[in-house]
Amino acid sequence: MQTETKQTENIIEMLHITKEFPGIIANDDITLQLRRGEIHALLGENGAGKSTLMSVLFGLYQPEAGEIRKNGQPVKIHSPNDATALGIGMVHQHFKLVDVFTVLDNIILGAETTKLGFLQKKEARRKVEELSQRYGLKVDLDARVEDITVGMQQRVEILKMLYRDNEILIFDEPTAVLTPQEIEELMATMKEFAREGKSILFISHKLNEIMEVSDRVTVLRKGKCIGTVNTCDTDKQALSNMMVGRPVQLEVVKGEASPGEPVLQVSGLCVRSRTHKRDAVHDVSFTVRKGEIVCIAGIDGNGQSELVYGITGLEKSSAGSVTLCGHDISHAAIRQRGQDMSHIPEDRHKHGLILDFTLEQNLVLQRFREPQFEHLGFIKKGAVRQYAQRLIEQYDVRSGQGPVTVARSMSGGNQQKAIIAREIDRDKELIVAVQPTRGLDVGAIEYIHKQLVAERDKGRAVLLVSLELEEVMSLSDRILVMYEGEIVGELDPKTATVQELGLYMAGAKRTTKEGEGA
Amino acid sequence: MNQRLSQLWQRDATKTVLASLVSILIGMAVGGVIIFIVGMTNPSLGPASVWEGIRLAFLGLFSTGRDAAGGLTFGFNPVNMGDMLFRATPLILTGLSVAVAFKTGLFNIGAPGQYLMGTAVTLMLALGIPSETVPTALIWVIAFLGGTLAGALWGCIPGLVKAFLNINEVLACIMTNWIAANLVTWMFDGSDFRNLVENTKSGYIYKTSYNGVETAKLGLDQIFPNSQVNGGIVVAIVIAILVWVLMSKTTLGYQLKACGANRHAARYAGIADKRNIVLSMAIAGGLSGAGAALYYLSGNTEFFWSTYQTLPAIGFNGIPVALLAASNPIGVVFTGCFMSMLDIVGQQITNLTAYNEYIADIIIAVIVYLSAFSLVIKMLFSWRRKRRAEEENANAEEPGDGEEGSGGPAAAPLPADAPAEDGGAGAPPEDRPGDAPGAEETGKGGERA
Repeated sequence: MQTETKQTENIIEMLHITKEFPGIIANDDITLQLRRGEIHALLGENGAGKSTLMSVLFGLYQPEAGEIRKNGQPVKIHSPNDATALGIGMVHQHFKLVDVFTVLDNIILGAETTKLGFLQKKEARRKVEELSQRYGLKVDLDARVEDITVGMQQRVEILKMLYRDNEILIFDEPTAVLTPQEIEELMATMKEFAREGKSILFISHKLNEIMEVSDRVTVLRKGKCIGTVNTCDTDKQALSNMMVGRPVQLEVVKGEASPGEPVLQVSGLCVRSRTHKRDAVHDVSFTVRKGEIVCIAGIDGNGQSELVYGITGLEKSSAGSVTLCGHDISHAAIRQRGQDMSHIPEDRHKHGLILDFTLEQNLVLQRFREPQFEHLGFIKKGAVRQYAQRLIEQYDVRSGQGPVTVARSMSGGNQQKAIIAREIDRDKELIVAVQPTRGLDVGAIEYIHKQLVAERDKGRAVLLVSLELEEVMSLSDRILVMYEGEIVGELDPKTATVQELGLYMAGAKRTTKEGEGA
Repeated sequence: MNQRLSQLWQRDATKTVLASLVSILIGMAVGGVIIFIVGMTNPSLGPASVWEGIRLAFLGLFSTGRDAAGGLTFGFNPVNMGDMLFRATPLILTGLSVAVAFKTGLFNIGAPGQYLMGTAVTLMLALGIPSETVPTALIWVIAFLGGTLAGALWGCIPGLVKAFLNINEVLACIMTNWIAANLVTWMFDGSDFRNLVENTKSGYIYKTSYNGVETAKLGLDQIFPNSQVNGGIVVAIVIAILVWVLMSKTTLGYQLKACGANRHAARYAGIADKRNIVLSMAIAGGLSGAGAALYYLSGNTEFFWSTYQTLPAIGFNGIPVALLAASNPIGVVFTGCFMSMLDIVGQQITNLTAYNEYIADIIIAVIVYLSAFSLVIKMLFSWRRKRRAEEENANAEEPGDGEEGSGGPAAAPLPADAPAEDGGAGAPPEDRPGDAPGAEETGKGGERA
């Protein structure tokens, strides 16, 4: 859908955009120019103002200053409807789909073709099918959204934009929820769009993807525009320095591991699945020793979460045994397991924090019964406050009001830091860390990696579950690959290649059931 | 730093109190409007009655009747005051019952049933233990504890069902209410506790004073002569303070609140979530039962035993009492008194004007209804303040574009500051300037729970 107006180089220009919220300038005089047919990446840490800027473009916010131009003409965007009329479409990070509607209904929602007030779905279906075929976006039009995978939900969101003939596509952190294969497919699709002349704004803080797919990168930091560079003229290190404002170590620096005696021994563990009949974890055995980081790698949904539930006690195991520091804890209560184990949970909002509690209350979530914090059933407020202040300082947890900040109001990175601080400070023999860096920016990731390596060097055993290949390769001392609930291989990160790891993860290759090298 | 924090906290508390007061005022104003409409449309009333009705609606507590000339008189009325405290006693406790449940993430709509069970057991013990052999003070204590325990056990049922079968406590509560209503009727049907001495009162159970059991006056009858007041109000206030201490100072309260706020996280931390849910409901039920015990142990109240078709309003009224107090145990003492004051007001309007008791009830209902809007009003406060701050910011920034260099670092503090203001209401979460992914996941987590 090309407009008849004169062809300008920049299809969308956001000039000197300033958007403020009480106490914070989210966007401070930001200028962003999107060329026709380019993939333009918007890079920045959490809270840098990326989402705010896109919300301004999508009509969700009105900027205090600055203007938006399309094809050189100033435009006012007051609502998402205005944005759609201008051909701007957006795939939000967390999808805006109606769970109980079918895929087709979701795609046409808000742009239905009707005749005398009745829906004309046949035509819509034909158009969607055509689009789906043309771009290889496979979806099941009659499935309900709640029943399809996250990857397919994203394809539905993309089809929504295509169905509306949008020519400017905004992708807000599209890869955060995808498996490596799906990410590759998405990248290919984006390139295809660009080839056809659509313009793409791609929000991310993952440098690999930006380097791979984008033509130009605009970097934001703390609400300010740091600069726009051509992707081919820069590299990951330079970009991350621009983003964080200081040199960042992208590689994890760690010495040789010196594993000691076993801390955690899992043998023949089975955990039932909540969603299907088969075991989510089937006959899994492995050992984690003092002073090593063992990583469970795999594509999301292959039983990693359930394995951790089985070890930490959040879910009952149906067979097998778990031994921690010589004690059989296969059927122990969570609290009892916690005596030798700390757990950085996968879902920091569901398990990790009580969002309506204050930071200090969250920091003593497991420890409030300890004599230092409790006296005759009463909480020692002073001791809790002191402890919280120490952790906040030591682990650099930033929040608006210190110990009494409500956890909900903290940024995701600092919420995660608070959990890390709490769990590491409990000083247990085993640390179970599940996707500890998910959704965090480079600075925070660097910090968390350092902490985990430091714990290993102190002689702690670390069991890491990660979906990020890079993290798996750089952080672990041993890699166990999980596929469909079983451990299909053990790899040494020093000798294994990413390709090899990928084959195991995809189930195309498997070696022993039990890691014999252990 | 610390000072600033405490100020902030106080600001929020003031906002809560203010919101409750404003909603009470709105409720009373609308009540006044109804008095006006009814008065002007009813031929037996008229402008003079309207004025009297409105004055009574606001000042009924201080009404002292009419003077020789027929005008309303106002002043300190010990009977009204004492009666208000007397009627507030059970309301404070059912209010606490609902408030404790709210604080732990549960909606205890089962207070009427718990109240009924407390009533039944209290009366059976108070009337059944022979006062010839057992000192009445001891009977009082036994009956009070028995009533409390009965309420607690009754409250356990929805708690157990919720904890182990994950069935919504509201459903279970409503069912247990009606089970209690029928059970209590069945227990008293044909029993010797029915008042058969006074013929006209065969539908009632004996007053506990029949067995010589009644709550000590603690000298309150000296301050409020001729009223029904007794030491029960003191007990209620002490219990309110204890509940406050429990919820905000103890590790048990911390655990209960943790389970209520996020059951998954509590479990993750090794807190026995199921036990705590049952415990919350037991405490809530016990409070309702205690309210019933205090009300019927007064010695001058009678229980209508054939209650299988009705549930006690005192149980349900615990909900607005708790809401109006924003679930603060100390606040509940005041809102409980406010609600019973409305009762007195209605009585005064009925007695002193031509408005009948039904109109008085409607007016009270309207006041209660609008009073429960305090949360909305509080939200309105927050929203307005935010709006104003935003406007001021915008105005301040516009002229001085050049200042940005110096103002930049100071004006861009931790991202955490920004979303703290709106507390989850209002704008779509992903638009928050702070941390978009974090905020959005919050919403998701909520849905899952």
